[in-house]
Amino acid sequence: MFFLLIFSFSISAKDTPNDAGGSITVSTYNIPHYTERIELYRKVKGDTLYKEAGLISLYKGEFDDTLAVAGESYLYRARAITKDTVYIAMTEEFVSSSPQWFNKSRTAVLLFIVIFGSFVFVFIQLAKKNPEGLFIRRLPAIDAIDEAVGRSTEMGKPVLFIPGIEYITDAGTLASITILQRVGKKVAEYGTRIIHANFDPVVMTAAQETLKTAYAEAGRPDAFNKDDVFYLTSEQFGFAAGVDGIMERERPGAIFLQGYFYAESLILAETGYSIGAIQIAGTNATTQLPFFVAACDYVLMGEEMFAASAYISREPRLLGSIKGSDLTKSILLGLIGIGVTFGTVASLLKQAGNPAYMEIFNKVLDFLAMGAR
Amino acid sequence: MKKQVPLLITFLTGFIVIVSFFVPHRPFGILETQVLTWYAIIFGFTMLIGVDSLIRLHVRKTQRRKKGWWYSIVFFAGFLYCFVTGVISLIRTSNPFSPGTVFFYGYRTILIPLQSTMFALLAFFIASASYRAFRARNIDATFLLIAAVIVMIGRVPAGYKLWPRLPEVANWILNVLQMGPMRGVMIGIALGAVAMSLRLILGIERTYLT
Amino acid sequence: MNISTSPWVWIAALLTLMIYSFLYKENPFYRLAEHIFMGLSIGYAVVIIWYNYVLVRVYKPLFFPPHQWSLIFPILLGTMIFGIFSKKYTWLIKYPFAFYIAGYAGISIPVTLQAFVLKQVEASFLTPEKFSSIPGSINSILIFVGLITTLIFFYFSTKREHGFGTAAKVGIVFIMVAFGASFGYTVMARISLLIGRMQFLIQDWLGIM
Repeated sequence: MFFLLIFSFSISAKDTPNDAGGSITVSTYNIPHYTERIELYRKVKGDTLYKEAGLISLYKGEFDDTLAVAGESYLYRARAITKDTVYIAMTEEFVSSSPQWFNKSRTAVLLFIVIFGSFVFVFIQLAKKNPEGLFIRRLPAIDAIDEAVGRSTEMGKPVLFIPGIEYITDAGTLASITILQRVGKKVAEYGTRIIHANFDPVVMTAAQETLKTAYAEAGRPDAFNKDDVFYLTSEQFGFAAGVDGIMERERPGAIFLQGYFYAESLILAETGYSIGAIQIAGTNATTQLPFFVAACDYVLMGEEMFAASAYISREPRLLGSIKGSDLTKSILLGLIGIGVTFGTVASLLKQAGNPAYMEIFNKVLDFLAMGAR
Repeated sequence: MKKQVPLLITFLTGFIVIVSFFVPHRPFGILETQVLTWYAIIFGFTMLIGVDSLIRLHVRKTQRRKKGWWYSIVFFAGFLYCFVTGVISLIRTSNPFSPGTVFFYGYRTILIPLQSTMFALLAFFIASASYRAFRARNIDATFLLIAAVIVMIGRVPAGYKLWPRLPEVANWILNVLQMGPMRGVMIGIALGAVAMSLRLILGIERTYLT
Repeated sequence: MNISTSPWVWIAALLTLMIYSFLYKENPFYRLAEHIFMGLSIGYAVVIIWYNYVLVRVYKPLFFPPHQWSLIFPILLGTMIFGIFSKKYTWLIKYPFAFYIAGYAGISIPVTLQAFVLKQVEASFLTPEKFSSIPGSINSILIFVGLITTLIFFYFSTKREHGFGTAAKVGIVFIMVAFGASFGYTVMARISLLIGRMQFLIQDWLGIM
């Protein structure tokens, strides 16, 4: 075996961008053909010996040396090993890593949060000043709450509310609590029993408080039975088995399946159907929406769940936030529209021999996808 | 005071965590991992409320000899079985979840069959739901039905025998017609969820703090 | 026929049958299986809490070097949850809950926007590859129309008049087709679950085949 110092194989090292420091990215150029592996060595300023740093991936041709200490300066040396030759490359200047204050790869997200946040904020302020003239389209599933609770009351049957099988930290679960407020108000007015079975103990306490308030506001705090709001289990199918049992034994006249669901959605909805209950479902789980649409009487589809609190309360601040969301949607529609037109024109021009637009187009694509790759 | 302080905590926590997404520099960069470790601990405490609530419910049922009270005894038997084998396995091997412990054995031979049987009930329920979908109630449901039938039949060998191009049509529905609306529904949910989270951090949505 | 002699297989088989008896109607056998299930899952949860939370996340990092004293903060917050057991101190639970819920909301905002909004918008742009053939072009346009009309369906603050109403109507048709496709796609997967349970009953328990 003999050693060769070849100029064509080279490496460069730089501080890994957008991180908290402690990492240096080493890139390789012109990796010799038939290289089996590339070994990387590093030397701390002041030391005489190079020490092993790791193997550079042949596929990526890059290596993030995450064991580099922030602030320390290093030199790197790489050995590309083929069957019969070893090629050597090294860096000439010392490199050190440092932490950054802003992750540039996330600029698009920041820009979008600022736009979205300001729309929501501005429209909330406008709505507070001028509450009239705020429109929100009908949500039949919410309108049906009164009818469902009413029918259940006439039949002398309880109402069952299932807040899904996610924790309180899921936005869908939070939305289900706002819907429970409305249901709670109605059951309290009518004096109907409500059963609320839970997957998350925190949701249970939130539901207990929500219903307690609803009964107190209806002037019958004593009618609220805390034991009817209980924890079942946090095991997916154990929960489904428990709820199915409750449905068959208690025979509720109205069932609310509101929150995030997984595969058990159809087990619950079909059992509910078989006992003849009116079912009002709602979920932010795209995978389960088809089953609720097929098996339930009314469904709040995805985003409709999040608009429900504004629809129910008609509170100007909530309506304002819906308006802000809608405007953001318009921006997205505009963006997609421009992207589609721009992309089409750029590809036509590229075919006609003018690739300049295509480059700009690709840059826009990269900007949007930044950080998500 | 009792209302203002939690709202302030909500705002500050939410704001700092969002900032940490964009700032890799210490102390922000490591904040998310740190906070998630803390949440795991708080989560453990929240589960205790649930266990407490359920055990109390069954104790009351048994004490008052409510209808079906002896099922509560069955509940306690199951609970104790898992609990006792868990403790034994913990003492013996220090990790009750390692294969070979009594605890793990019980999990694999009792709990898993129960889970998979419940899951498998879906075969019957999806059949009954499909049957009902066949009597499409309105025009929207008709579209759902047509797409469902084509995809369902197109993906089994019988579909090919019926019409050799059916599998292609099924794949076209799945890859083309389904793509746009699913993406739209997803974007809508994301915007709705983010708006909800923003309202929560700004203190506008506070049902969970009632 | 070679019926299993393992008590565990018998227990699993009987529990399977008890759960299936629900399809006929709710009955004492189902209720028995349901309560066993509930009891086991809670017992299981307690062991998980003890092992994964108390031992691994609290006891070891706190009492063994390097001591992570910062963990006292979440433990303190967690303890405040017990305020729920007293009428006088129930308000204490608002502090840990506020910290817990707001933190998750904060974590989810940028991540959700990045993965479910910006990435999706980027994927919806039409690139030259999508126009490389006539069917490809038609499909791209269909995806585009499906997306736009669906987004319009989810407008809440605008009246559904004129073109807007028509677009929303087209949107709901697209949504229903998408849901139907998803429904049809799942049917076979669910049937195969049943086949799995039947195999267990017939082969492992009864020893037929």
